[in-house]
Amino acid sequence: MGAFETSVEATIARWFGIKPPNEPAQRLAAELADTVAAFEALRGTLVFEDEPSSFEAALQATKEKA
Amino acid sequence: MAGLADISLIQAADAVASGETTSLELLHACWANLDAANPRVNAVIWQEREQAEAAARAADEAVRNKQRLGPLHGVPMAHKDMYYQAGKLSTCGSALRRDFRPTVTATVIERLSAAGAYTFAGLNMAEFAQNPTGHNKTFGDCHNPWNLPYITGGSSSGSGASVAARFNYMALGSDTGGSIRLPASACGVTGLKPTQTRVSRYGVMPLSFSHDNVGPLARTARDCARVLTVIAGHDPLDPTSSREPVPRYEMFMDNDLRGVRVGVPTNVFLDGADEPVVAAMEAALAVLEGRGATVSRFELPLMDAVAAYGGIVSRVEAAPIHAEWMRSDPQAYGAHISGRMYPGYAIPAAYYVEALSRRGPVLKAFAAEVFAKVDVLVTPTIRTCLPTLQETDIDHGPPGTETKFMAVSANTRPFNYLGLPAISVPCGFDPNGCPIGLQIACRPFGEGRILKVAGAYQMDTRWHWDRPPVLSAAA
Repeated sequence: MGAFETSVEATIARWFGIKPPNEPAQRLAAELADTVAAFEALRGTLVFEDEPSSFEAALQATKEKA
Repeated sequence: MAGLADISLIQAADAVASGETTSLELLHACWANLDAANPRVNAVIWQEREQAEAAARAADEAVRNKQRLGPLHGVPMAHKDMYYQAGKLSTCGSALRRDFRPTVTATVIERLSAAGAYTFAGLNMAEFAQNPTGHNKTFGDCHNPWNLPYITGGSSSGSGASVAARFNYMALGSDTGGSIRLPASACGVTGLKPTQTRVSRYGVMPLSFSHDNVGPLARTARDCARVLTVIAGHDPLDPTSSREPVPRYEMFMDNDLRGVRVGVPTNVFLDGADEPVVAAMEAALAVLEGRGATVSRFELPLMDAVAAYGGIVSRVEAAPIHAEWMRSDPQAYGAHISGRMYPGYAIPAAYYVEALSRRGPVLKAFAAEVFAKVDVLVTPTIRTCLPTLQETDIDHGPPGTETKFMAVSANTRPFNYLGLPAISVPCGFDPNGCPIGLQIACRPFGEGRILKVAGAYQMDTRWHWDRPPVLSAAA
């Protein structure tokens, strides 16, 4: 098991008291590296003038007009 | 042979109201199919036949007394087993809730009852609504009525399979990443995920409160329109439900698509798509053009952000709901359920807050660019030919099985983060005889528009009336 997976398991155990329940859990926990990479890839690419704004307000702002 | 159980929900309701048939006859027609085919399909996991017959007789008595209970008068229904009815079983598809009897009744169930419908069974589903395939460790996998070894789609597996197999006229599903649209597509029925906040979620098992939606699976788009009119609208018991006025959705369905601009994404939604699926979508687009729609193709913006943020929100919100069971009894879950939930506990809160705070701005930017060009988006609901239950069985399959498993919902998940309404309608069959679905999405609160497009499409096609082979084999 690599350093990333060890750190993920330790974090979950420390904060939630939950151990990996099975092999797929360990495999999918390792894939969190892809989640981090996806977030990294977004950095600096999204600039919104009005953030933060509520999602409910956005639903109203973009809704279908009768 | 086609019979009373083959008609649409609207035809059933109208036939009862006019005295042409009785609610009891509808119920017994549904049960004849259920008794013959459910042992192989496994869509229904519990039934209440005595209460259902009493409700049917009451509906028929009302007709004889010239009383009309509502637009769903006397229609028997069964729902995904996560819609609470006080004192009745609601297993949520899990061993952990095998005997759970809630003390409250879901607002949507109350509204369907007030409109004249009644419930006779609980339907199989993915454990806690957490898979896109229909696997279930506790109650057994749900099987596709069109080809039994193949997936039904999930998580509303029993909802899709039961409507397809003519066990009922409409079933509620829930949709957090595609769980209404996927079984609709895989089972050859029509399924509508409304705009986020459109329908109350009070008394409905939560999975991801930002992404959860309640909606119908039924024979036709017009059936979905009638049900949505009944269940939509603000509910004081669910403060997140919208106060947006509820139109009578059937009035949008004029079958005239002149002036309707249809957009087909050229990125993401067709990546790795199978040829029969693409061909079915292209044929469907030609039908829409025949009704007057224009079609354009372009790249959708912000898809990387939608994918990254959407995945965070769902996984983090499911985690605390299940933390106690994940500590005390993790083996009660299927491995693919607990295994997929587990990483959610390690995602930083700052990521989650970023994903949520960007949701509004991403929607506004997406809508500004996309809906300036088109009125609706059209994609395959599932971009590949259906896989089998075995091919997507993470619990018993080799590493890598999860790739095929997750691919099933690749085309539906984006619309949950964006909060947009989307419908799936049947549009053909793959080489294995499994249905193919067409997904139609549009602006928030544009359910009338997608129902109009779906309804027009169903005027010129017959896919939604086709009967699955499991019924012929049962006869």
